[in-house]
Amino acid sequence: MGRLQIKKVWVDREVESAGLTRRLLDRLAGRPVEIVDNVETVKRAIRLQSDPVGESKKNLFITTQKSFLRPCPCTPGCLGCGYWTIDLDLNCPFDCSYCILQDYLDCQPLTVAVNREQLGLELEAFFKERMAGIIRIGTGELADSLALDELTENSSFLIETFRGQDRFWLELKSKAGLSPALLQMVPANNVVLSWSLNPAAVIKSEEKGTAGLEERLMAATEAVGHGYRVGFHFDPILHYPGWHQDYERVVESIFRSIPVETISWISLGSLRFPPGLLPLARRRFPGSRIFEHELTRSSDGKYRYPRPLRQWLYKQLAGMFIEFGAEDRLYLCMESVEVWREFKEKIKRGRRKLTFPFPWQC
Amino acid sequence: MVYKIIELSDLNLEDRRFHFTLNQADRRLLHSVKEIGVVQPVIITCRQNRPVLVDGWRRVEAARASGLEELPALEMAENTDDLAVFLLAFFENYGQRSFSLAEKSMALRKFYEFRLNPVEIIERLLPLLELSPERRMLDLMLELSFLDERFLEIIHRRDWKPVTVELLLGFPPAERTWLFLVIEKLTHNQQREVIENFYSLRRKTGKSLEELAEADELSGPVSRLLRGEIAAADRLLVALKEANSPLLSGLQRKIESEVKALNLPEKIRLNYDRTLEKPTLHLSLEAGSVKELKEALQSLVMSLENQKWNRLFRLLGYEGE
Repeated sequence: MGRLQIKKVWVDREVESAGLTRRLLDRLAGRPVEIVDNVETVKRAIRLQSDPVGESKKNLFITTQKSFLRPCPCTPGCLGCGYWTIDLDLNCPFDCSYCILQDYLDCQPLTVAVNREQLGLELEAFFKERMAGIIRIGTGELADSLALDELTENSSFLIETFRGQDRFWLELKSKAGLSPALLQMVPANNVVLSWSLNPAAVIKSEEKGTAGLEERLMAATEAVGHGYRVGFHFDPILHYPGWHQDYERVVESIFRSIPVETISWISLGSLRFPPGLLPLARRRFPGSRIFEHELTRSSDGKYRYPRPLRQWLYKQLAGMFIEFGAEDRLYLCMESVEVWREFKEKIKRGRRKLTFPFPWQC
Repeated sequence: MVYKIIELSDLNLEDRRFHFTLNQADRRLLHSVKEIGVVQPVIITCRQNRPVLVDGWRRVEAARASGLEELPALEMAENTDDLAVFLLAFFENYGQRSFSLAEKSMALRKFYEFRLNPVEIIERLLPLLELSPERRMLDLMLELSFLDERFLEIIHRRDWKPVTVELLLGFPPAERTWLFLVIEKLTHNQQREVIENFYSLRRKTGKSLEELAEADELSGPVSRLLRGEIAAADRLLVALKEANSPLLSGLQRKIESEVKALNLPEKIRLNYDRTLEKPTLHLSLEAGSVKELKEALQSLVMSLENQKWNRLFRLLGYEGE
């Protein structure tokens, strides 16, 4: 919790006396606490600050979530990967310049849901309903899966809930170090701890408050040593002078300590963001130049690198992974069928094992 | 309020503390006032023993232009404080028309200066003005209100949105002035695009606007725009977009040159997605009969022997930096 900069804790009156609320408040002792009727009161306080996004990351709201599970919407015109998400926490204490939550969450404070028993019931029903295939489910879409874990210990709850449900793979995706609770647990075969990776210089300039590259790789190494499966996300891949060498170093450093067979998947996704993020990010990160790169508006309205460049980036990265025999772990995130098709061809030239589109579905 | 007829010359028009509207008296109003005078009373109040105008700036302007000496007025009590008076001026106009962003900024600044609680401004007034109720928006509007009034008038006339204003305010003051000179006479969309592109180019290169405008492709259209030749706007936009989007614009140029080199009959048209997201060609044929269709198809099939087609498809599917 050393990295957390929570200024104030807000508690939804409805969960004031819940057991988990009490435990959270104990762990957050010393911060001012206010009981409120709903999130609007918190949002109002945040809106009155000159940097509402920054402020939203310093206010923690303890509440309930009406429902937790939903299919990942991907984005119109792109090939989805059948992912499901659990919205257990909302918002993230880290401050990445490119993070779409800045635009998407509209002054939502760091939000922790304490009605986990309901999530347990939802998952139980989900496990029974979904009869075929492997389904990947993660908590890292509207939050960082591990950033608040020392506080919430959600990972322990989730791992125990997923244990034995072999067709349902839980992914805990993060830019944080490894939560100690995870090393005290017996790993489950269907749990993947994954880290978003970028070159050290990018992490330093664009991913404020997150663990450094070495710390993330160390965490992954420790996780593997403890018996967990791991995953990596190269997302967003950024293009800048010297990018190739920087990414090559990251890829090499993965395989220095992590055996390829312990890696479940590696996603590739290039910089993309909704138009609303552009003024916001420029304002909040005046030193960042990633938004000034050549970008196009794609059919879903988002800004992206032009398709010829995206394809090139994926091809180059795939080449780096082929060297380590990891190409069949690769998939693309939020990419068009055209780019996927081309990518699959490129991969095939290296190795024929890739099952299109997603290796884990075979 | 007390109804009275006032001498125009008694009005202290120098005192513009309640003024926040930027529409000027148009020809229809001038004509009407010339014919029948001012019918609807203006609103005034007294400050330092002189009547000052609260609402009715266009009517006063029309009355002066028409040579009237008197006009009807409703006078608010002198002891009404500035905030209460301005609330009246604001809502009197609010019910009648939408305000431009420049007017909104001026009104918000008045409220701020008349010491309306900022929280009330944010939570009550910003939503009324269709602005997001955030401190950041109030800060932006206050900053906008400090621009020179001639620039506010341009923003008013072209109905700018907050996102464009925010970009503009990202330039140093001297560059803003230069930019206004370049874009003054352009349409709103042109103004927005010029500002966006210069903004991005400036951040990308770290050069000042003046330095950027010295580049070969930009200097010509910029000089022409500074001379008031608005036809140069399209040329400037093309040059700016090419500078900001070298990969796509370079590919588009090459594709178009290959398409031209194919020298297809007029009735066969090729098109493609300019963003190159879809690396495919769209082909359309125009034919009024089976015979014409056969001819078009035959000429197309014959042209397929041309290696230029392969080059064209390679360009469409290009990948690289």
